[in-house]
Amino acid sequence: MAETTLALPGRTTRRVRIVTSATIVVTVALAVLVVPPLAQLDQQAVDLANKLDPPSWAHPFGTDDVGRDLLLRCVYGLRVSLLVGLVAALTATVIGTAIGALAGAFGGWTDRVVMRVVDALSSVPHLLLGIFIVAMFRPGVWPVIVSVALTHWLSTARIVRSEVLSLRSRPFIDAAVSGGASRTRVIVRHLLPGVLPQAGLAAVLMVPHAMWHESALSFLGLGLPAHQASLGNLVQSARGSLLAGDWWPTLFPGLFLIIPTLALAGLAGAWRDRINPRRKSELML
Amino acid sequence: MLELTRITAGYDRRDPVVRDVSLHVAAGEAVGLLGPSGCGKSTLARVAALLHRPDAGTMTLDGTVIRGWRHRAPREQRTAVGVVFQQPRLSADPRLSLRELIAQPLRSTGRRREVPGRVAELAQLVGLSEELLERRPHAVSDGQLQRACLARALVLEPRLLICDEMTAMLDASTTAALVAVVERYRSESGAALLAVGHDRVLLERWCDRTVRWGERNAGPAERERVAAG
Amino acid sequence: MTDARENTGVPVLDVRDLSVRFRMRGGRDIAAVTDARFSVAPGECLALVGESGCGKSVLASALLGLLPANATTTGSAVLGGDTDLLTADERTLARTVRGRRIGLVPQSPAAHLTPVRTVRSQLEESLRELTGVRGSVLREAAVVAAARASFPDGHLDRYPHELSGGLAQRAATALALIGDAPLLLADEPTTGLDRDLVERTVDELRRHTDEGRALLIITHDLAAAERIADRVAVMYAGRIVEIAGAPRFFGAPGPRHPYAKGLLDALPERDFAPIPGMPPELGALPDGCAFAARCAYADARCTGERPAFAADLACHHALTGRTHPLKEAADA
Repeated sequence: MAETTLALPGRTTRRVRIVTSATIVVTVALAVLVVPPLAQLDQQAVDLANKLDPPSWAHPFGTDDVGRDLLLRCVYGLRVSLLVGLVAALTATVIGTAIGALAGAFGGWTDRVVMRVVDALSSVPHLLLGIFIVAMFRPGVWPVIVSVALTHWLSTARIVRSEVLSLRSRPFIDAAVSGGASRTRVIVRHLLPGVLPQAGLAAVLMVPHAMWHESALSFLGLGLPAHQASLGNLVQSARGSLLAGDWWPTLFPGLFLIIPTLALAGLAGAWRDRINPRRKSELML
Repeated sequence: MLELTRITAGYDRRDPVVRDVSLHVAAGEAVGLLGPSGCGKSTLARVAALLHRPDAGTMTLDGTVIRGWRHRAPREQRTAVGVVFQQPRLSADPRLSLRELIAQPLRSTGRRREVPGRVAELAQLVGLSEELLERRPHAVSDGQLQRACLARALVLEPRLLICDEMTAMLDASTTAALVAVVERYRSESGAALLAVGHDRVLLERWCDRTVRWGERNAGPAERERVAAG
Repeated sequence: MTDARENTGVPVLDVRDLSVRFRMRGGRDIAAVTDARFSVAPGECLALVGESGCGKSVLASALLGLLPANATTTGSAVLGGDTDLLTADERTLARTVRGRRIGLVPQSPAAHLTPVRTVRSQLEESLRELTGVRGSVLREAAVVAAARASFPDGHLDRYPHELSGGLAQRAATALALIGDAPLLLADEPTTGLDRDLVERTVDELRRHTDEGRALLIITHDLAAAERIADRVAVMYAGRIVEIAGAPRFFGAPGPRHPYAKGLLDALPERDFAPIPGMPPELGALPDGCAFAARCAYADARCTGERPAFAADLACHHALTGRTHPLKEAADA
């Protein structure tokens, strides 16, 4: 009696990665959703007697240059950055999916024109384009969202278009056409559902991207108004104190930007493994 | 029923895979188109199924000259031709259950109310159980999936059925079963058949007559063989 | 026949009670292969036939040690009297078995060849690896290796996509022959090929068998099996249900198992009549004979008790006596 079993390499590592990422994402989500309404603390409370205090029991992340509690400022900042990131990523994905699907499904001239426009827009650096867009409005949350969304749909459009192109040549689309399906029905019922996992993955991967974009705009002073706590604003306003050797006002907002970003990327990676499994089937019949 | 005259078709205009080929299928007739793989017979089948626009030549269906292919063809023309492909895995939308797979053409043509009745009827004809109908393509065998694909091709009661290498991936018993289903449908409906394949014994047993495809880029003599049938 | 083979010595491959189980998500078990028992002698071709999904490809993968991680095997598959393929470690299989003692003729040769390298460079690489030939002799050896599979020299510098289906199949066969393996394993080598090409491929494989190799060919193409095989093993729902000499299987008196007879009768050159129903799920096999639900001869015994595989047959109702009573009388 002989038994042969091979361990699947990397399965444990993958599981640890997923669990860690999920824990972080859930914690962050709870923090930004639950803390502000429950805490009853004023993040804008100025306390000039305790300005630029290093981390302590009273203020775990220390205080800023006007004595505001940094932990609270970071949570509020993350809340704003995450909101901007989510809404912008979702908008960009919807725009990108619609445009990519149309280009791929129609093909021919439509495809050529749309993809040349995408190429042209891609050749301009995102940040430059984003700055140009926010500069047209008064500072606020919505201009930043519009700016990020309008600069980030390009890659999604490319991904969705190529997926649609590859699906379009499958016999099951031929079968639908032969069965009397209209153009709209082929796109809505057969092509779009086929690309949604890819588009969803692109959306999740885009959230951190959009958060960084927002932070970059705010850091440059073009994003959210300075009094509103966003991670970019926090880092920006703390720049001066860093030169004086006060590290905490920049470090903690920076970590708040990096850690959720990595966790989201970890989850997106797990999703990608799920939709593109390396092994097609467990059973090779 | 189907008249293809001097059709030239392919995916590259400079090098068409089908060159100047003619083929005729009479009403109610079963014609086998026999040829080696890669000769272009599948492309010709796609032209006949209104799925691929030819570069040159004319096609008539039931006496009507075809002016457009794919979505440019009127829905009534497209649904008059049922088509079954070689690889069931690629011809089934992986997200749909077999029941939905068979029902799709009814839903596409606004005949939603007929779904339960027609699907049950066809499932019985092709031999799929209620339990199998609930499964998705990845959970059934090639043979079971091809049965569903055949049911889908028959659900709108086409006047012409095109089977492009329908049984190439299947074992002898499933092949015989699917051919029996096609023949039963044809005897009840009087539909015509164009069966494309490379198995001479099978097509000669199945069809009223078989037409042999010449070697690719063959001279006029070969072309005449296809034309004359 | 069996006696004659045993007298000639050790079979090249001797499979005893080989079973393969897949553990699926949710703890479900799939019995892909159950108690397979057969052997192949030098110079002999055994064709393993059955419907797609009956477990024949899993069997081939088990012999090559290429099963996925969730598979468990029991039984033995002894190669050349000394190596059990089921217990051998991956290192032994990779270094001494695959290519050297078992040559694999693949299902889709075009996919089996490396697309970015010429046939010559792939042949030379295999020669270097398997025979240790080096330097100037190598070029010559590659030509010889190609010639063994009737691959024309003129096409050696082509890339796989520039070859026709038949030439790609020959290139893949040439690669399989390089290690001079005593056992050739051909997994559906004729799927999707035209009849002419099937016959050419099969005849070439037969030629290599006649040179003294053992050939195990796995196929659902009965015509190909008839053309090449000395013996036929019929597989149904993961079990081998009948093993018979090819002449008596395809000719008179014909197969003894009702499933095998049904499969043959379904051929367009015979009755062209399908076996009613469909094979059972490998995850939910019945207690009795797996074929009973589709069998015209089945009775209460068949549904209640699984027939044992004895005298190369697993059936309660061996057909020979019934369908050929005269022949039986003559034999007696």
